[in-house]
Amino acid sequence: MNPAVGFTAVIAVSVITALIGIYGLRVSRTTSDFYVASRTVRPWWNASAIGGEYLSAASFLGIAGLIMISGLDALWFPIGYTAGYLMLLFFVAAPLRRSGAYTIPDFAEARLGSTGARRVTSILVVMVGWLYIVPQLHGAALTIRTTTGLPSWVGAVAVVVIVCLTVMTGGMRSITFVQAFQFWLKLTALAVPAFFILLLVTGTAGTLPGGPLPAGTDFFPPSNPPGGGSMYTTLSLLVALLFGTLGLPHVLVRFYTNPDGAAARRTTLIVLGLLSIFYLFPTIFGVLGRVFLPGLAEEGTPDATVLLLPGALVGGMGGSLLTALVVAGAFAAFLSTTSGLVVSLAGVISQDLLGGSVRGFRIAAVGAAVVPLVVALGTDSLALAGTVGLVFAFTASTVCPLLLLGIWWRGLTDAGAVAGMVVGGVLCGAAIMLAARVGVDSGWRDVLAQPAAWTVPASFITMVLVSLATPRRRSPGAARFMSKLHVPERPLAHPGPSR
Amino acid sequence: MNDDGVPQSQPVPPAAPPAAGRVRVVAPGSQARHLPELTSVSQEVAEQSAVGEVMVRSLIRSQLRLSLVVAFGFMAALFIGTMVLRWVPGFSAWRILGIPAPWLMLGAGVYPVIGACAWLYVRAATKNENQYRDLVEEK
Repeated sequence: MNPAVGFTAVIAVSVITALIGIYGLRVSRTTSDFYVASRTVRPWWNASAIGGEYLSAASFLGIAGLIMISGLDALWFPIGYTAGYLMLLFFVAAPLRRSGAYTIPDFAEARLGSTGARRVTSILVVMVGWLYIVPQLHGAALTIRTTTGLPSWVGAVAVVVIVCLTVMTGGMRSITFVQAFQFWLKLTALAVPAFFILLLVTGTAGTLPGGPLPAGTDFFPPSNPPGGGSMYTTLSLLVALLFGTLGLPHVLVRFYTNPDGAAARRTTLIVLGLLSIFYLFPTIFGVLGRVFLPGLAEEGTPDATVLLLPGALVGGMGGSLLTALVVAGAFAAFLSTTSGLVVSLAGVISQDLLGGSVRGFRIAAVGAAVVPLVVALGTDSLALAGTVGLVFAFTASTVCPLLLLGIWWRGLTDAGAVAGMVVGGVLCGAAIMLAARVGVDSGWRDVLAQPAAWTVPASFITMVLVSLATPRRRSPGAARFMSKLHVPERPLAHPGPSR
Repeated sequence: MNDDGVPQSQPVPPAAPPAAGRVRVVAPGSQARHLPELTSVSQEVAEQSAVGEVMVRSLIRSQLRLSLVVAFGFMAALFIGTMVLRWVPGFSAWRILGIPAPWLMLGAGVYPVIGACAWLYVRAATKNENQYRDLVEEK
């Protein structure tokens, strides 16, 4: 592949991101206070921004890669990623918007009236964020290596440097516009090449470089081994994805830009629509990849399918342009998810450790990005979608029970919340580490490698039992806080508070 | 400069009034605490009277029931789909426009179901809230 294509795409997407950031910054300075401005963000913009931040390396590259490896079973990943937002809508979206909490630790402190619970939540949120950034950097390393031929570390370092610069110069204040742009870029970057490739493959226009397909080519060869994963694996994966989404640290912040709880629900509805459309395309890439690039799975780089398919099937100038588009989309995915995570982690770290000053925020931003960089450089890229799946399992076992019980059950106490989160986190972490040491044939392997099905209930049960055992520790403000979460705001006719 | 949605646990000390034409940018986290209480009549009712307390409890209960019903409905649909996939022999061989039915179901068919669940839920949740508002205002 021509390295110039990769370079051009990566530089273009970085420059455009920075320009939109600067332009949006000026808009938000001259119109009105940033916060009030964000209250007027239309649900469409907001939903695009949420989609932009959520669709990470795992969605953009990982799903197609997983279809290459495991065929039909991989389709549960996009279903889980989308249905996670469904659970978020059912249980979290509107109440969390009304809570006034800006981060998950803020929520824990307000609901439980305890700084201890806040600290534990902060630590877990930072761990989740770090674990989630690592696969993004692996994706960037893979993209740079595949498209430009430079060593892997260049990609990871480039993403961290760009994100740190934008976050530290304050360019991310206009984050809504940047993220919204990146959603549409990602969608275009998959949809346009998919469209052209489908035209070629069905023979409607042009011919494939390798001549027409032999008659009777099966586009849906059976998975190998047939049947794929066990029933338990699928179930456990779904538990992780469905309940992991609602604890992701960068997701909550985005909901705060909705004017009220009802708007938070409408926004989530649009997000679901956008995700549903987006996820059609990685599937198309994966299916075609199995037919046209079967070698990638054996070479151990199935995640490169999306990057290589347009160049392999569409020759000449057109192929280069489509490849550039896909690379740009992939880079947008790494940048948007990483910057969203870094901003929310820096908020948490600076507030809890560094006193909440602007300088502290900047130091925290660097820390939030550099730690996962070190981890990413020291580890090998596994299947992207699978790694992110484990992060979801960890979130579902720790933060998710805190949010669900905190929002819906008066009886939750700080002791219960901390015990549940620690039990869930330790069990889930230990299971994932043990899974790497257990032999492939062991019957325990599935149970340990996909732990959500038992660690999530364990965390919930611990939280409930310990809370019931410590009724005196209930926060005195809990009842008032609960009614704030669930009682609808004034009808929108009331303007926001003027300042 | 006070920027970047940095949530701050301490309230920002009152600064000099901003120069004309520039608006001070404040972290939403800290501002949430400064906002004049956004409480509506319904929230005040909720907090101050025993009747209000009962009404809030019943609102929370009906919202929770709604969420659980729709969530379990969705999961049941997913479960039935998986069962069909695994145990109905002819299903895997069935093709629509050349695409095998399992691929069509998992790759595209699930998403309209997700959308429908979400839409039904938003409608019903809004209705619950409107009922609560009516109740409070009648009082």
